[in-house]
Amino acid sequence: MNDKTYYLNTFKVTECQLRKLVETALSRGGDYADLYFENTSFFNLLLKDSEVSSGGFHTDFGVGIRVLNGEKTGYAYSENTDMPDMLKAAEAASAIASGQSGRSGLHYARAGVMKLDLYPQQEDWRLSDASAFLPFLKTVEQEVLSRDSRIVKVMARLSDSVCEVLMYNSLGELTMDSRPMGSVTVTAVFRQGEATIDKSASRSFRIGAELISGALAKELAEEVTRGIDERFAAKRPKGGQMSVVMGAGASGILLHEAMGHAFEADFNRKGQSIFSDKMGTRVCPEGINVVDDGTLMNNRGAGNYDDEGVPGEKTYMVKDGILCSYLHDRISASRYGVPPTGNGRRENFRYNPIPRMRATYMESGNAEPEGIIASVKKGIYVDEFSNGQVKIGEGDFTFFVKNGFLIENGRLTAPVKDINIIGNGPEALADITAVGNDLKIDNGTWTCGKEQSVPVSCGMPTVLVNRLTVGGE
Amino acid sequence: MARRCMELALEKGAESVRVSLGKSVLDSLTMLNGELDKVSRSADRSIFIYLFVDGRYGTFSTNRLEEKELEDFVAKAVTMVRMLGEDRFRSLPDPQRTAKDAAGGNELGLFDPRYTSRNADMRLKAAGDLSIYAKVKSGEAGKGYELISEECEYSESYEDNYLIDSQGFEGRHTESSFSCFSEMTIQDMEGGKFSGFWWESSSKADGPDICSCGQKALERAVRQIGPKRRRSGKYRMVVDAGVSSRLVAPLLSALNAAAIQQNMSFLEDSLGKRMFSEGLTIMDMARTPGKNGSRLFDTEGVATADAPVIEKGTVRKYFVNTYHSRKMGIPATVEDISRPCLMPYLKGDESTASCEGISLADILQRCGSGILVTGFNGGNCNPVSGDFSFGIEGFAFSRGKVTHPVREMLITGNMTSLWNSLTAAGTDALPSSRWQIPSLAFDDVSFSA
Repeated sequence: MNDKTYYLNTFKVTECQLRKLVETALSRGGDYADLYFENTSFFNLLLKDSEVSSGGFHTDFGVGIRVLNGEKTGYAYSENTDMPDMLKAAEAASAIASGQSGRSGLHYARAGVMKLDLYPQQEDWRLSDASAFLPFLKTVEQEVLSRDSRIVKVMARLSDSVCEVLMYNSLGELTMDSRPMGSVTVTAVFRQGEATIDKSASRSFRIGAELISGALAKELAEEVTRGIDERFAAKRPKGGQMSVVMGAGASGILLHEAMGHAFEADFNRKGQSIFSDKMGTRVCPEGINVVDDGTLMNNRGAGNYDDEGVPGEKTYMVKDGILCSYLHDRISASRYGVPPTGNGRRENFRYNPIPRMRATYMESGNAEPEGIIASVKKGIYVDEFSNGQVKIGEGDFTFFVKNGFLIENGRLTAPVKDINIIGNGPEALADITAVGNDLKIDNGTWTCGKEQSVPVSCGMPTVLVNRLTVGGE
Repeated sequence: MARRCMELALEKGAESVRVSLGKSVLDSLTMLNGELDKVSRSADRSIFIYLFVDGRYGTFSTNRLEEKELEDFVAKAVTMVRMLGEDRFRSLPDPQRTAKDAAGGNELGLFDPRYTSRNADMRLKAAGDLSIYAKVKSGEAGKGYELISEECEYSESYEDNYLIDSQGFEGRHTESSFSCFSEMTIQDMEGGKFSGFWWESSSKADGPDICSCGQKALERAVRQIGPKRRRSGKYRMVVDAGVSSRLVAPLLSALNAAAIQQNMSFLEDSLGKRMFSEGLTIMDMARTPGKNGSRLFDTEGVATADAPVIEKGTVRKYFVNTYHSRKMGIPATVEDISRPCLMPYLKGDESTASCEGISLADILQRCGSGILVTGFNGGNCNPVSGDFSFGIEGFAFSRGKVTHPVREMLITGNMTSLWNSLTAAGTDALPSSRWQIPSLAFDDVSFSA
């Protein structure tokens, strides 16, 4: 993955041309310029109605050119790497510095190099054709069908991609990365009498085609068919304010939405976040650590480098209850006078990078999960979320809970479904009263949609929030 | 290029082919607190091919359009389709159903020729006019709030999509777009932050009202100061035209044949049946000239038509493409709705004259008291059951007047029940919007707080 010649040949450029492009981008002034070359191959197969009868591949290729003048951004891109077209894009990006004289005074520093390849590929997805994966999807379907006679439909999708990037900047840093991604999603529809329900399960990793295995098919089938009796029996509970126990794993999406976004430095440098004046202050009880981590091996949110050529790192946003870092791209790091944290990410070369999360989770505490549930007299246990949303300024969030249970006198009782949990990020953080010792990273196909779509993951130990609003009947 | 691609695919053995060639240009300028913060220029082109080979089907795309690259791309695509399972229901649409009036691209008048004479200075001036930061900051003393940030964006774009198939269909759609967006974040005296946004978009250069955009965003932020919690219970709900499409989207999704065929729709077996209040009529006004969302053909090239989707509460149309028509044995329509328009209605007063000029204020007056929803914050609708739960933001109202903002509230219910409790639909759909959904009123909606 560090074969410079391979990447230069892939993008049909020379190092001399890279320097020329950066010079052109800064020809009207500015503090910093960078180039982001991308060559991505996507591939997908879909099993539906017992046949893998649709699929395809897609190719995306181009270069994005950015000029930073202080905190201001000029951005343009070209969908080919012919020098005249790239020079045009560089000139368009340079417009941000038009009419300005010299530099803004902000300092953009070198970022260092990666320590470890977080996603070595044993089998390159691009070297296998569709026929290699058809039996796997059939196996998934059989594994699912064999577990529950109430299933009326199964859909299974395999999506993979390999994204090759080459980055060069005005500090002279040249970085390269090859980023694989493999995702499998299975959805089953169950019918019992007049009632119909659906359930999905997915796995997604930065990994090569070695992801595909019989064990994965079994794991997905097991998950998608688990708890169906409870689902058919589930009802909407009576709504109101109550204690909420977040189950380990997918509850991390609440951390991502309700707190993580408000820690992204672009919202803070613009004064828009509810946390913008809270650096160094206590935001939750002692002992709680909240992390955004780009270094988890093969994780969907992992990055050897971010999309600004900054090595991935593990960033503590909250340590022992104190807000200690925002998530930075190069612009905000420069503004705050701190090193970038490797959070400058983008959907593809068409977008300029902005601060984005990677794998966001709360570290384990000391409590036993069973003890946390036992401590609740009346409340709700939730462990399967879908979409959520937050208002950055106010901190108000809403989450849709697909599945959970009532807690009555310390025991899980009636199953519940289709409810929302609503609250306020800082208030909820401050209201955490127990953290379990069972951190679990959820490896589903989480995608964050802040302006651009990027793959992320999340995790959580079992956590008790003393009081949140639960929407019900 | 599209024809060359089609010829290559046929030469490689494809039975039939559809090719879509897309090109777009976007210029945008973002202002932060009155100063230019970001300038960007995008120019995209891509080709999609839909291949039908030996009774099999696949879709492929690339933005590498050099001749040699395309040849390799098509050859590889045809090879891959041959590896997939057979699907005898896949085919191009009946040629009788494809549009015959869309070869030029601007038949609907959605491309404003003034776009070609726009330049960087004009766009910069528009972005500057959009910002009201200095004006607000200079006059905020004594207002009870401080403006924390103003972020606004002005953009112009051009899209050109060309679609052909191997049965002789040819269609083109061109569209220009001029858009402005403003978001204001303010802080009240107690340190509470509130944000509000406004946007406008038009295919015409003089369409968006740039000068009022920031003020509207500011007003939407300011009116949220001082929110109160309300008790849970059943209230009359009025939904502002700016967000009412959120409640229509689950209905239209449930009418899609793909969802019905997969048993993932709560409107299965509803065609021709009265499912909702007789006040609910949704038309697909796909062919209205000059309006956002209008188009003469869908993604298969099938001609669109102005037609009812739900008429007086009765489902009149599923969205059925060629594939699902053949697979489910039902008549094909169009792949999806283009420009939904929800018709005005006043329960108990259905005469045409009464249903003209119904504003949000009129609806609030008729409803008396309840909760006005001006935003949705998260939530979901179960596609199989129609059960929904959405976070909302908005205001309590009494005697037809807004009294105070509410916070941390949710609505829950079922889509079929909700739309059976429709009591009013206004005539105030936002002109900028592709979906023409006005302010709405419903009885007895469950709110949790």
